[in-house]
Amino acid sequence: MIARVRNPSLTIGVTIVATMILAALLGPLLFRTDPLAIDLAGSLTGPSLAHPFGCDSLGRDMLARVLWGARLSLSISTVVVALSLVVGSVIGGAAALAGGRIDNLVMRAVDIVLAFPGILLAIALAAILGPGLIDLVIALTAMGWTGYARIVRGEVLTLREREYVVAATTLGASPSRLLTRHLLPAVAGPLAVQATFGIGGIIGAEAALSFLGLGAMPPTPSWGNMLDAGRAFLLVAPHLTTAPGLAIGLSILGFNLLGDGIAQRVGSRA
Amino acid sequence: MIKYLMRRLVSIVPVALGVATLTFAIIHLVPGDPVVAMLGDSAAPADIEGMRHQLGLDRPLLTQYATYLGGLAIGDLGESTSYRKPVAQIVSERFPATIELAAAGMFVALLIAFPLGIVAGSNPGGAADMGAMGFAILGISIPHIYLGPLLMILFSLDLRWLPLTGRGGFAHLVLPAMTLGTALAAIIARMLRHSLIVVRASDYMRTAIGKGLSPRAAIVRHGLKNAMTSVITIIGLQMGSLLSGTLITEMIFSWPGLGRLLIGAIGARDYPLVEGCVLTFAMTYVVVNLATDVVYALVDPRVRIS
Amino acid sequence: MVSARIAHAARVVVSIAASAVLVASAGCDRAGHPPGTIQVDFEISPLSTDPRIGTDAASSRLNELIFDSLMKIDRNGEFVGDLAERVERPTPTEIIFHLRREVRFSDGRELTARDVKYTYESIENPELRSPKRASLKELKAIEAPDDFTVVMTTANPYAPALEMATEGIVPDGTPPPLKSASAGPPGSGPFMMLSFTRDETAKLERNPLHKFEPNSPAAILIKIVPDATVRALELAEGVCDFSGNNLEADVLPWLRAHPFLKISATPGTTYKYLSFNFRDARLRDVRVRRAIAYAIDRATIVKSMLRDSARVATGLLAPENWAYDGDVTAYPYDPERSRQLLDEAGYPAGADGMRRLQIDFKTTPEGARLAEVFQAMLQRVGIALNVRTVEFATYYGEIQSGNFEMTSLQWIGINDPNQYYMVFNSTQTPPGMNREYYSNPALDRLVEAGMRTIDVDERKKIYAQVQRLAADDLPYVSLWWSDNVAVMNRRLANFEPYPNGSLRSLATLTLQGPGGAEPSR
Repeated sequence: MIARVRNPSLTIGVTIVATMILAALLGPLLFRTDPLAIDLAGSLTGPSLAHPFGCDSLGRDMLARVLWGARLSLSISTVVVALSLVVGSVIGGAAALAGGRIDNLVMRAVDIVLAFPGILLAIALAAILGPGLIDLVIALTAMGWTGYARIVRGEVLTLREREYVVAATTLGASPSRLLTRHLLPAVAGPLAVQATFGIGGIIGAEAALSFLGLGAMPPTPSWGNMLDAGRAFLLVAPHLTTAPGLAIGLSILGFNLLGDGIAQRVGSRA
Repeated sequence: MIKYLMRRLVSIVPVALGVATLTFAIIHLVPGDPVVAMLGDSAAPADIEGMRHQLGLDRPLLTQYATYLGGLAIGDLGESTSYRKPVAQIVSERFPATIELAAAGMFVALLIAFPLGIVAGSNPGGAADMGAMGFAILGISIPHIYLGPLLMILFSLDLRWLPLTGRGGFAHLVLPAMTLGTALAAIIARMLRHSLIVVRASDYMRTAIGKGLSPRAAIVRHGLKNAMTSVITIIGLQMGSLLSGTLITEMIFSWPGLGRLLIGAIGARDYPLVEGCVLTFAMTYVVVNLATDVVYALVDPRVRIS
Repeated sequence: MVSARIAHAARVVVSIAASAVLVASAGCDRAGHPPGTIQVDFEISPLSTDPRIGTDAASSRLNELIFDSLMKIDRNGEFVGDLAERVERPTPTEIIFHLRREVRFSDGRELTARDVKYTYESIENPELRSPKRASLKELKAIEAPDDFTVVMTTANPYAPALEMATEGIVPDGTPPPLKSASAGPPGSGPFMMLSFTRDETAKLERNPLHKFEPNSPAAILIKIVPDATVRALELAEGVCDFSGNNLEADVLPWLRAHPFLKISATPGTTYKYLSFNFRDARLRDVRVRRAIAYAIDRATIVKSMLRDSARVATGLLAPENWAYDGDVTAYPYDPERSRQLLDEAGYPAGADGMRRLQIDFKTTPEGARLAEVFQAMLQRVGIALNVRTVEFATYYGEIQSGNFEMTSLQWIGINDPNQYYMVFNSTQTPPGMNREYYSNPALDRLVEAGMRTIDVDERKKIYAQVQRLAADDLPYVSLWWSDNVAVMNRRLANFEPYPNGSLRSLATLTLQGPGGAEPSR
């Protein structure tokens, strides 16, 4: 109980994220308006009792679409971030530990992916992969693992040089102890920052990829493609971007606090 | 140090080769045809074949690849099929605009991030921290594509302080730089805050404060220097997204840079121009990262240069 | 978005500061243009300033202001002389153009038949790599018997021959664009190019050797603004004076609310249609295509989504075309009829109302919104439309190579009914424009006859049959003809729209007052 109060980030973060997940799971069951029902005569109408968030450019209910979109956007972004984090950390950590030629090779590969303009990579992946959600996860992970790899590698390299680690190693500390006592607290923070901002990036990237024929295809709603569909109406119907924008902002806030809290928790164990 | 620099410079070569190969493979393998883009869809089949031959597109892909690399080795980027001019000339005309935008974006990012990060990091959990991090979340939640028009509505349409679009003097640079730099500012501020919190808890900070320095002075004098390493890392890491960000920012602000050139080249399936643009972007990224690594080594002597 | 609200709130807060700034800047032209200059925003950069190369819409719009041609198309879609003051057609394969005297290029040289001959011959020279070469396929020879006479000869009688006479004329000896300056060759039209920076601006100034209406623009600044919202902002701020056919219909009411802006909306010839791959057996069944035609509620789309900025189409030719015949089978929205046809075609509805008919629909990101409407409408009759958006060049490549089932495309600038030959004749498969691989011997014979018949009344009868046949057999499902919508500052008076979207009127309109946004905001 006391630990929780000391870590308000974690409490608030968990609350927000849990609420979002609940909304994604239960929302469509409680608010039963069809997110796909088109009503051209009602296009771009503002919020009302029947449509609390207003209607989009085809007269579809925005609230229903935000709730349904949550399922896709939240699941894709968390899965991709988790996968990228694991893949990137393993590759980065392994490269740093192996050192020498392998490290060099891995880091040049990371450089190539990071240096490559995302749009061209996306077009290529769209041409190779299909419109399925697994393809989408593969594509986003392929584009997203590199940042984590660099962070972990950098921290491992720095750590190896620090006196206390050198001392601990000579004193015969086990690798697992080194990992939990020293490495984890050091990388948790930077990884949390990268990951929480990654969530927002992935929601946007999902929309960009769906344009290129990869991932969710119309009429499936996602926050990213709702945001993008609203762009043309920024001047006449800002509510088209407000609803998904708020949803994205709120989830970034939630994940951010959550990441912060976790980093604090892990860091305090050091 | 010199030896380290030389080794890092040499390591650019495999990255360049990798990027060039990847670009070549991608652009040649995705559907679309530069000849149809050039001659239109009512061209006679014989003309299309003739043009294919003239451009060397009828040769095996590996031969084309070898020719391309051969040209690259002597610094020849080829001739653009849509501009009908040497790629090197077109790219060098557009490159300064993008560098100007990216540098201004980075400047804005640092300008916002440092005060925000320091305020937040020196008193975590306080009201200033909440406010600063709230701003950071807002900054990261708004994609460039909205932030641009919103800034335009506020600063140009309503306040009439700044011009809407185009490249010109300082006034033209402000809004695109803010658009490009805000998200980056949020990330850097967030990272700076985190590092400062970690540093605050460390032994030598406690020592510094124990010696009589005020906490804030200790942060600025000792903490910041130590926090810099992770900030530099994140700047290097975010260089890629900064450069990708120029693509959209250039579209919104009608900025005549490399990003729009690349998008146009992809649309026209202008193979040599796509390759030239991607290579330029990639090399910019690599060089900036090399620079951040050097700075990193200078700032944090604990990093052994090997 | 979050801060859309903030921005609006901030407007109120800062209005005092804003008015202070406005007082400071009142009286100065907001855009900073010299007097007499108008700014025109384009969405896409022109590709070439050489009229022999640029076939894209932006290049054509630009080059029409700089170069004259033998003939031009007037506001009624009829050919009228431009450089030619008189035209004779002594035989079905021969056209004689008598040129106006005293026409000069902006560099002072006199324009003669030699320049015309050179222009055409250089387009036909493969070394220029001109995309226009294909459109001169029927041209056998072009001769200049004297300085003011040009004779075009075709191998066979070719009804739309005058279309070949609309190429912009450049001076004799103009090199290929690679070797020339980026401002392009001089022309004899109302404006000349001062400078051109691709993706940025084209600066035009009056050609001093060309006649002008009083108070017409002294200079035109063409600015490339890719983002639609930003183009609207530029108009609202008074920076941009004119924006044609490149704004969302939904933004027009917002623009109309600005008192210093006016909107010109006039019937256009741009034709939007649904296209089917005829190598797909299911789509080759005319009952399926008719079912789709009945299932699409075009009237509602035009009214609610396009905000009445289009007319429901019956075929390629708009009512303004001389060969138009509207007495064809129409397909009003009739889902019941659609379901019947699908039942007949052997696609019975399942328990959920859906049929075993799944059609892939490829489109570009910009086309996604419309695709979703088609998807919803076809679902009502039990057809599942799988929409897939792809990047434009990929999309175009796939359509060209026949790798699609169904899509929606448009034709811009249809003038001669020979378009029916180019898109439906079975010999015109890719790289030609019959991307559907449509083949109908009866239609083939008609469009070939239409192309070879010179007599106008005779042609008109042929194309009446063509339009009826196409509406019955439905190689395309006609959607609508888009209007030409131009938004401009009220200081531009007497702008005359062309059905094909030409902006030639920018040279003849008149400027009133200082323009710009009203300072009283």
